[in-house]
Amino acid sequence: MSQSTLNQPLSLHRTATGQAKWRRKIWPTVEAYLYLAPTLFGLLIFVFIPIFTSFHLSLHRIAPFGNVMRFVGFDNYRTLLTSPDYWDSVRITLLFVLGTVPTGIALAVVLAILLSYPLGKMAWFYRALIFVPVIISSAVAGVLFRWLYHPVVGYLNYWMVQLGLFENMQQAPNWLGSKEWALVAVIIATTWRQLGFNVIIALAGVQNIDESYYDAAKVDGAGVLQRIRHITLPLLSPTLFFLLIINIIYSFQAFGEIHILTQGGPGRATMTLVYSIFDTAFVGTPQRGIASAQAYLLAILVVIMSFINYAAANRRVHYQ
Amino acid sequence: MNKRWSILTLILIIAIVAAACAAPVAPSAPSAPAQEAPQAAAPTEKITIEFWHAMGGNLGETVQMLVDRFNASQDAVFVNATYQGSYDDTYNALLASFESGGTPNIVQNFDLSSQTMFDTGRLVPAWQLMEADGFDPSVFIPAVREYYSDENGMVAMAFNSSTPLLYYNAEMFEAAGVEPPQGSLKFSEFKALCDKLLAAQVAPYCFTFGQVGWEFEQYLANSGGLYFNNNNGRTARPTEVLFNQDKGVEVFTHLTDLVKEGYAPNLNNTWTETDSTFLTRQAAIEFDSTSDVSLIQKAEFKVGTAFIPHADSSERNGVVLGGAALWLIDSGDPAINNAAWQFMKFMADLPQQKDWHMATGYFPVRVELLEDPELLQFWTDNPNFRTAIDQLVTTRTVLDDGTPNYAVLGGRAGPFPAIRRIIVETYSRVLNDGLSPQDALNEAAVKANAELENYNAFFE
Repeated sequence: MSQSTLNQPLSLHRTATGQAKWRRKIWPTVEAYLYLAPTLFGLLIFVFIPIFTSFHLSLHRIAPFGNVMRFVGFDNYRTLLTSPDYWDSVRITLLFVLGTVPTGIALAVVLAILLSYPLGKMAWFYRALIFVPVIISSAVAGVLFRWLYHPVVGYLNYWMVQLGLFENMQQAPNWLGSKEWALVAVIIATTWRQLGFNVIIALAGVQNIDESYYDAAKVDGAGVLQRIRHITLPLLSPTLFFLLIINIIYSFQAFGEIHILTQGGPGRATMTLVYSIFDTAFVGTPQRGIASAQAYLLAILVVIMSFINYAAANRRVHYQ
Repeated sequence: MNKRWSILTLILIIAIVAAACAAPVAPSAPSAPAQEAPQAAAPTEKITIEFWHAMGGNLGETVQMLVDRFNASQDAVFVNATYQGSYDDTYNALLASFESGGTPNIVQNFDLSSQTMFDTGRLVPAWQLMEADGFDPSVFIPAVREYYSDENGMVAMAFNSSTPLLYYNAEMFEAAGVEPPQGSLKFSEFKALCDKLLAAQVAPYCFTFGQVGWEFEQYLANSGGLYFNNNNGRTARPTEVLFNQDKGVEVFTHLTDLVKEGYAPNLNNTWTETDSTFLTRQAAIEFDSTSDVSLIQKAEFKVGTAFIPHADSSERNGVVLGGAALWLIDSGDPAINNAAWQFMKFMADLPQQKDWHMATGYFPVRVELLEDPELLQFWTDNPNFRTAIDQLVTTRTVLDDGTPNYAVLGGRAGPFPAIRRIIVETYSRVLNDGLSPQDALNEAAVKANAELENYNAFFE
């Protein structure tokens, strides 16, 4: 209650205005919150309470045999930040994001522009073809790629040998066994599965651009590449920005492909931050305290990334 | 009027959501009445035993078959078996249940988890029930009994036990005119064998194995090397690892050399790719568990089996028991604990162990079955099922001076699963990063010792 209402003399008039105010101003707010209550209740249980619990856990060493905890302050954080393995995970995650996001979006834009040309009756077929990987679960995609990548009997190396790129299977890349290739292998699998979604969004963006811009450009004598460079891409920038955000989030969260293909190996070559949280918390000897600290550090990293994103967006994105 | 309706709708929505949210709490409910049931002293009341296991696919079906048999055999106890995923999943589910309720009565958990299972403090050690029941643990094969024992006796009930084997493609040996391995080869003999096979060009690779921790542990034990100090953690909690000493280095050098020198493909930390490499005739020999009989059944060629090799610098010692056991979680009610014990006893009994062995390749844990006429016939027809048992019963569990051979009794440490994970990563330090096996193992030892220190700190 504000100061002014408190100072008002008690009177019938006041209650009447009070009631009117309740009906006009306060009730809609209360009503809104009541409608939100179920969602908020769900968020409270599944998001907010876990957020606080995991912070609490991150300050403890938790015994892998049950509910015994030792308070260690920020020791878990210190352990992580001074561990070369952790910084290696940060590096791998950034490489993974750099490997998946720009390639994924660039491919999507190229495909979207191609798909936006009149393709006749087969248009739905090509679109479906590109979208299918999205509806495959990441586990199934992972198993498919495991067979493709198999160093001894894999199709990928088999065809590369058949095409004369390598003399025999031994010389072809060991996709999942060598440190250099494992991350590339996981990036390819993840990009492939995400591509369909990106193309659909990019295609919608391309089709939204008014024909008149192109007509005007043609009159001015602009070629295909010039039209793409000066019309399509700038006008697509809100879409691209949306894709960038979505893809970065997706890449940071990538789990299924890594889990099926490499489990973070060989060594720690594909141990991204998210996979490392899972690995610490649930594989072998569970260490939930350290895993919670990792989750918090990841959250901080994601917040920083988001700030960079929005800062860049203010300068680069053109809305029609 | 409108507003009143909207309020009513709201209340309804909240009620539904609240009801939906309340549902997940329910799992703690069934266990509570189950615990109270016997106190009601109704002798006709059935006791329900929750049994969590980690056997999927064909193995899971066989477990269910045995459970059904138990349920049909008597009226007092009903066992409800649930598949919980991998051993890791099952263990994590158990930890979660300690906090949230719905704790099972019996959990199947694997060899390495023994110390952690015990440290939960929620177990009824099997020896207590054995003593109360007059059950003689010497019915089990000594290696099985010893593996799951502490100074008082067996802490868990033996159920699915396995050991590693070498599987080989008999046709390739024939084609190359090479005699299949007899007994346990030395590392150098193994390589010489490989040279002959590769010279005959029967396959692109001689050997196939996944970079899993188990193979290193087994080769180390077979070479008589200790994994942990304090007698492999058997006489006191281990404080440091010993796998970076001479035997460990010899074993790790051999394993990584096999890949570096082209005898084996680099298959990362996998089990499945090794099978596909072997089954598609790309390698002549494979390292795998006895429980992988499917391998023998699936192969389009004749498969033979042999003992695993050992270091040149030592005699053969034998293998460490693998697989898993049944652990009894204390329900706080003697009647329920006893009912669970009846089921555990049933699962380790002769007929069940016999069927389990023939269906899965996990070997029978009872001494008596080694002389069983039906099994003797079965082994004559399927000699590959016999190799694992021979390998285990010829394991040197006692040294010449009469002391226990701790190397083959197997390491025991709380964070053993985490340390196994470190070994898996260490393969890549040699194969990808070019470290020497000694340096890589030293690095692994530093990490492993930190794990031990962290774990032991809970007991200070």
